[in-house]
Amino acid sequence: MSKNTRSADFRKVDVDELDEEKFIDEPEVSQDDDDTDVISKRESEVKSLTLGGRNLDALKVSLTDPPVYSKDESAKKRNFDIVLDVLTRFRQSEVEEAVKKLDSEQVDILMKYIYRGFAEPTENSCGILLVWHQHAVAVGGIGSIIRVMTSRKTV
Amino acid sequence: SILSFNSICLVGIDMRISRLHRGGEMSATLKPYLNAVRSSLTAALCVENFESQVVERHNKPEVEVRSSGELLLTPVIVSRNEKEKVLIEGSVNSIRVSIAIKQADEIEKILCKKFMRFMMMRAEHFFILRRKPIQDYDISFLITNFHTEQMYKHKLVDFVIQFMEEIDKEISEMKISLNARARIVAEEFLKNF
Repeated sequence: MSKNTRSADFRKVDVDELDEEKFIDEPEVSQDDDDTDVISKRESEVKSLTLGGRNLDALKVSLTDPPVYSKDESAKKRNFDIVLDVLTRFRQSEVEEAVKKLDSEQVDILMKYIYRGFAEPTENSCGILLVWHQHAVAVGGIGSIIRVMTSRKTV
Repeated sequence: SILSFNSICLVGIDMRISRLHRGGEMSATLKPYLNAVRSSLTAALCVENFESQVVERHNKPEVEVRSSGELLLTPVIVSRNEKEKVLIEGSVNSIRVSIAIKQADEIEKILCKKFMRFMMMRAEHFFILRRKPIQDYDISFLITNFHTEQMYKHKLVDFVIQFMEEIDKEISEMKISLNARARIVAEEFLKNF
């Protein structure tokens, strides 16, 4: 018998690691480390808009450029707090026309924040979030929900 | 004085029964909550057959196995308040729906636990029921592509929504009958004095 057959080292090779088609889940990381500055600026802008009573503009500002690429959890949390604050300021009757004025990308981002709001419920948030969800689905359709579920870029 | 003690006891039990019908403020969120769950379920129930990538000739619900990241969707929660929520975890060939049921006091907790246990022991007859609930939830469903092939998707969603409505009603009814029985027992017992 040849020498080859005696060695059993081939059993120790991890075949799955060597698989060329193996899926590696690496979300894109942002080059920009100034997320905290951007978010602070957004926070103050949103605050001034809501104090001025311009809730819809505040909503649009809070929904632009969400930190989806950032690995910094605190930055994401702060942005989420800003958005949730704006969402809870709306009255039930104002939600419908506010959603109608958003474009499709903003509706998708809004849905992501609505679901994050559901995941971290506070005393008063769920009621108004359910109203937001109802109108966002009316505008965005089931597709907007599916995009939340399939997107790797969590907000 | 014994008679007045009897009447105070019965009034106490009466007041507890009337508090059961406090449904007023809660039912305002019920319809939007069920609609949100309905639309989220309809979105998640896009499942298709997908054989196991890890083991030859096997077909496993990927949401349970969780072996490959690319087959899993982001889990999504719909909550009515801090106590009641629904977790929907999706994947390419299956979804898992977990429900946290409103349990206002100890009696409801016990009733809910026993009721859910009763159903989960008979999970085979339900087809889509899971034998164990997910952590932090009271009951879980596992719906695979085989179920959606054999049953209508919109009917499956209708079933889950109806289930959620019925559970709350059943638990309230059980609690009312429990209190009624307790009242009768107390009455009989106190007649001796």
